[in-house]
Amino acid sequence: MSRPTVDEDRETTRETVPATPTEQESPVARPPRRRTGAARAAGPALRTAHVLLLPTVLVGVYWAFTAQPGAGFYTPTPDAIAVAFAELWFSERFFVDVLPSLGRLLVGFAVAALIGIALGTLLGLDARVRATVEPVLEFLRAIPPPVLVPLMIMLAGIDDGMKIMVIVFGCVWPILLNTVEGVRAVDPVLADTARCYGVTGTTRLRVLVLRSASPQIMAGLRLSLALAIILMVISEMFASSSGLGFAIVQFQRTFAIPEMWAGMVLLGIMGFALSSLFELVEGRVLGWYRGSRAAHRGE
Amino acid sequence: MRPSTALLAAATTALLAATACSPSGEEPAEGELITVTAGVIPIVDVAPVHLGVEQGFFSDRGIDLRLEAGSGGAAIVPGVVNGEFDFAFSNVASLIVAREQGLPLVALGNGATSAGEQGADFGGVFVLDDSDVTGAADLEGLTVAINNLNNIGDTTVRQSVRVDGGDPGEVDFVELPFPDMPAALETGQIDAVWAVEPFASVIREAGHREIASNFVDTHPDLSVAAYFTSEDRSARDPELFEDITAALAESLTYAEANPDEVRRILGTYTEIDEQVIERMVLPRFPEEIDEESVRTLADLMVTDGLLDSEPDLDALLP
Repeated sequence: MSRPTVDEDRETTRETVPATPTEQESPVARPPRRRTGAARAAGPALRTAHVLLLPTVLVGVYWAFTAQPGAGFYTPTPDAIAVAFAELWFSERFFVDVLPSLGRLLVGFAVAALIGIALGTLLGLDARVRATVEPVLEFLRAIPPPVLVPLMIMLAGIDDGMKIMVIVFGCVWPILLNTVEGVRAVDPVLADTARCYGVTGTTRLRVLVLRSASPQIMAGLRLSLALAIILMVISEMFASSSGLGFAIVQFQRTFAIPEMWAGMVLLGIMGFALSSLFELVEGRVLGWYRGSRAAHRGE
Repeated sequence: MRPSTALLAAATTALLAATACSPSGEEPAEGELITVTAGVIPIVDVAPVHLGVEQGFFSDRGIDLRLEAGSGGAAIVPGVVNGEFDFAFSNVASLIVAREQGLPLVALGNGATSAGEQGADFGGVFVLDDSDVTGAADLEGLTVAINNLNNIGDTTVRQSVRVDGGDPGEVDFVELPFPDMPAALETGQIDAVWAVEPFASVIREAGHREIASNFVDTHPDLSVAAYFTSEDRSARDPELFEDITAALAESLTYAEANPDEVRRILGTYTEIDEQVIERMVLPRFPEEIDEESVRTLADLMVTDGLLDSEPDLDALLP
């Protein structure tokens, strides 16, 4: 995750972080990939086949490896994991462990998004505030959230508050930094035009600043979503008595290995589902951007 | 982890004398030491094995014992199963669960035993001094911090509640590392903590009140931890494991007879404060596992739902 050095000089900055609707790709934001004509024509059947091909091969290889006699206690066969998965997660445990975890994850992610976008916009718009705050932010960003857990227990208790704080503290940085860069990179011609037309205040924020920063904000959100899942698990390893992360650690400690694998599989599925959902939202939010890029390339 | 110079010299001589290094498992040449690796947690309970290495109880039997520190039972057990460790140290509850899950583990000898005295054991339950809680039964409806849930700590604390006439099902347990417990207790995030030495001493000396000795409530001679290996490993080298068992027994007997030696060696492999080492309660180190106490513990684990059915302890115990 590289990020550009923050220059006060707007001209040099514009070279590293271009205004969004251009060909160049900024080092911070990962603009969404355009679908090629072939993929668009292929239809849902082939797309499903594409998604399933590699997992099928991987499970097959793993199965062949674990089906050998004496493959080991710690590598159960996929069918044993599947049985454990069905028994565990199609039961009340889903409501006791999975739903609360998912809830904390979504709340933490939402709070991080709010703080990140609000603070990022403020910093992106005002160079003086940015210069004042930046060193502190860099300092805080370098602290791994798990080491703050004892402090957070003091501040927020041992309940959901602490776990959400851990998620927020880890997730806020990609959103914040990408928002700052996105807001700074607003096309000056557009900004001048908006001023000429008397577009100011919240309207300017909505139709110009946030709009034009949105590809980078979405890239930051996408990075944070992946982080949120990891931090959800980590936060549940401390002062816990329920949750998906807690359950996986428990299974490991009580030598319930197929159950432990079933927990990891569920985490993976959750990650995949959340990322797919995110892609849908992103498609709607950034529809204008993709259209503009496509037009720019003459498609 | 610090072999004496004599031991090092012996090993070097042996290495020079031998044309090739014979892998462990083969008959050693005259005077050659077999390298044995043990997985231990750097806590008070394993002082005897450190003393045993220092006093030469292992090298006298031709064993060059290397002690490797692991973070906990869950990390050490896989090490024994995959052969990285020849034997290791774990609490008894984890061993019972592992055996029931199908891991072929066998106990070699006792690890550490409850001091057996109410209010003066090496582990206990603590509350704030001004708390309304006077006995374990008062923990009903309160939150108690435990280092590991579904293990020996909560099982024995539940027994304390039961013995005191309370309903252990009404107690909420939450996981916290021992070092974080005092702060959580003082800020009122939790109502009580279960801690073992040296943390128990730190908590006691901070003015908190001890309300139960959960090991003693479970069994006055409770074998809390044990040394163990895998069935495969001991079957491959029965004579070596006879020697290891004998050396462990000698180490435990020495530690039991010389508590000052235990306190001295603690300063060499732990970071415990010297003053705390002087004052803390030590476990007892009888060489035999108290079978009756392990059966009591196993019954409680069944009652509390940690185990589905009565475990086969004969397979686990020596």
